[in-house]
Amino acid sequence: MSTEQWSRLSTDAFNVALFAYIAGMIGYFYYLAFRRQLAWRSASLAAFLGLSAHALSVAARGFAAGRVPWGNMYEYSSLLALLVVACYLFVVEGVFKVRLLGGFVLAFSVLTMAIAVMFLYVGPGPLVPALNSYWIKIHVVAAITGSSLFALGCIVTILYLAKDRRERRSAAVVAPIMGGSVDLDDAPPHFEAGADEPVGGATRRGILPPAAVLDRVAYRTIAFAFPIWTFAVIAGAIWAEQAWGRYWGWDPKETWSFITWVIFAGYLHARATSGWRGRRAAVIALVGFASLLVTYYAVNLWIVGLHSYAGV
Amino acid sequence: MSSTVTSTRRMTLRQSLALVWRTLRSMRTALVLLLLLGVAAVAGSLVPQVGTSNARILAMFRDHPLRADIYDKLGLFDVFGSWWFTLIYTLLLISLAACLFPRTRAMVRNIRSRPQPSRELDGMRHYAVRPVAAEPERAIADARRVLRRRFFRVAGSNGGGPPALAAEKGLAREVGSLLFHWSFLLILVGMVWGKGTGFTGQAVIVEGQTWTEAAANYDGRINEGRFTGDGDHSGVRIHVDDFTATYRIPSGIPEDFVTHAALYDANGGYVRTVDIRVNHPAEIDGVKFYQFGYGWAPVVDVRQDGEPIASGPVVCTQGPPPPGVSALQLPWNCVVKLPTLTPQVGIRFELWPDSRGLYALLQTGRAMPMLTQFAPVMTYTAYRGDLRAELVQNATVLDTTGMRRWKQGVIGAGETKDLGSGLSVSFPDLRQYTVLEVKRDRGLWIMFLAALLILVGLLPALYSSRRKLWVTAEPDGRGSVVKVGGFALQRRSQFEEEFAKLVDELTGTSRDRVGAL
Repeated sequence: MSTEQWSRLSTDAFNVALFAYIAGMIGYFYYLAFRRQLAWRSASLAAFLGLSAHALSVAARGFAAGRVPWGNMYEYSSLLALLVVACYLFVVEGVFKVRLLGGFVLAFSVLTMAIAVMFLYVGPGPLVPALNSYWIKIHVVAAITGSSLFALGCIVTILYLAKDRRERRSAAVVAPIMGGSVDLDDAPPHFEAGADEPVGGATRRGILPPAAVLDRVAYRTIAFAFPIWTFAVIAGAIWAEQAWGRYWGWDPKETWSFITWVIFAGYLHARATSGWRGRRAAVIALVGFASLLVTYYAVNLWIVGLHSYAGV
Repeated sequence: MSSTVTSTRRMTLRQSLALVWRTLRSMRTALVLLLLLGVAAVAGSLVPQVGTSNARILAMFRDHPLRADIYDKLGLFDVFGSWWFTLIYTLLLISLAACLFPRTRAMVRNIRSRPQPSRELDGMRHYAVRPVAAEPERAIADARRVLRRRFFRVAGSNGGGPPALAAEKGLAREVGSLLFHWSFLLILVGMVWGKGTGFTGQAVIVEGQTWTEAAANYDGRINEGRFTGDGDHSGVRIHVDDFTATYRIPSGIPEDFVTHAALYDANGGYVRTVDIRVNHPAEIDGVKFYQFGYGWAPVVDVRQDGEPIASGPVVCTQGPPPPGVSALQLPWNCVVKLPTLTPQVGIRFELWPDSRGLYALLQTGRAMPMLTQFAPVMTYTAYRGDLRAELVQNATVLDTTGMRRWKQGVIGAGETKDLGSGLSVSFPDLRQYTVLEVKRDRGLWIMFLAALLILVGLLPALYSSRRKLWVTAEPDGRGSVVKVGGFALQRRSQFEEEFAKLVDELTGTSRDRVGAL
């Protein structure tokens, strides 16, 4: 196949994936609200279809350019979105058996892909000399895997904060309304759909998994991402030593990836410190996610530095 | 009276020192310092920094002098080299070491000691009682084997009573955590040693020339560490055969920059031929050569009445291009100074490596990018007067204060032009020069080791968990009753499952053995 054909295939598959993700997102949200098994089945089917099309798109892009498909921001964003969905489907649904978060994860990927295709698209082409190294395989793969896991962890963290707030409220309010004996030291009350609900109970029904579960999933994901991110920073330093003759030069990309690392290191320490677990640690994780976004988008697009050419 | 005062003062001094030490030792101090380091880094990435964005700093001094002045006083233009940034990370590392010393001592003590026996198993978070067929001694011996196989450290009870054992697992968590944290101090060691005894410089070498690695040959374009001396320069030589820059046509996107060179050791012995490219440095005797830049060097031959008075390649440079213009569209500038003539003569050259660039500018007013050498041409302006050579001057700049313009013209490659008064200039050849970054850093392997240890330490520090387990066995009829108690310090929910499995295995093995007999 010619370059143009591969390129067209990549774009078409990208669009198929995008629409499949949107369909999956709607399905997952429907499942979240109404808990119909069928909704979950079709949503995850759509997500898997989207994932396959997405993988095809990334591979075709690699063939079109004749190199690894993560050489510029469009390609990086696309791969990031793919890995977030893949991690969700295989780790969160597969290993943790948590099915309720698909809508949020797909929404993140759809947003990332939309930004990529609207603002960052460039045609396939060879790499500039500074990027032409086998370290692009090691450093960028580690960075992209770490970022997608951080992103996933932070989506779950946001949901944890929302759910935790609701649980605290209902723990404080529900007991007197019910007039029964709810042991506040126990796990917060969780109502099944259709169970004997208190007045106005619809709003208090557990839409999301319990906060404790969300907290654990978020922590595990971030703790999994942290060593990968550490490795990405180290691999970047080794590459910088080869390309620019110094392993660390406080270039904006280096600085921001370090800041992100520091914040998530702070998060992990906070988790191990009494009084900082839970909501406070969650807030640190969100700050870390903001820093990750700066590392990726702002540094490439607005801050001048050595990684600028890696931009659009 | 006075002695009381001194003793109080001494006490307060000691107390305050203890307070400082206690403060440094707390994890909270370390975390606050880490946070401060992060905040300082944010400032360093948002404010333009010396070295990477000099132009933006100058612009700020021009547009907002007051703000620029305040920033300058605070060291915000050089955050990563400022005293307060150094202070933050030094304090952080001291605080880290202060945290780590007691932890390491406790760790060593912990490794040396054996798990402590306990008899109060039913109070543990996890507890199980099972009957087994084997007698107590046998049951405990089996349990010991099972736990050993699962990498538990096991200690038997001593001093009478029914047979029992204590076991624990997961020391790797603390060992890994300590390794991870100590490695940051190792990074500091590697950095100080590497930078302190090393250097970074730039060598400008024209095609066909040989360059020797020595402090004097950098023309001042070198940064040496505090402890770097002449002995740290290697004396290796590099001969540049050829430099090639490849651009994609017509976009002008760079494709490849290669310096083809031969390396010689300090005694002049040939070592090997190398291609130095971006991302592919060459190394000899611990000195690394990186492709850094390139430029044009026309060979200029000046004769007075047929006698050569200046001859050889002249290194041309470019100023920063104005906004919207690529450096490839701009001509290159160089200067030849002839101080031996009276009156003295200086010639300014403007080189167009591709003459079509000059013609395009003359015809359309817009220069085109010059991607390759094509019928190169130079415009020249000769000045006569005083070169003012007694002042310190840049070799690439002509100071025309004491000079008058004399002759002007255009010279193509291979041509000779007469300037009058018996002076002639010829342009026999156009060559390129390469700029190589030359570097020695002896601390690199330490940094690499530290990075490796960080990763090796991080994995068990995050994923391993500390678990303790106790087993006792009491005779019961012909067999015995086995009691198992235990708890986990981390990952408690996971331990619940593991504990159940362990209990099955600890009591099941004995049963299987009996069945098999």
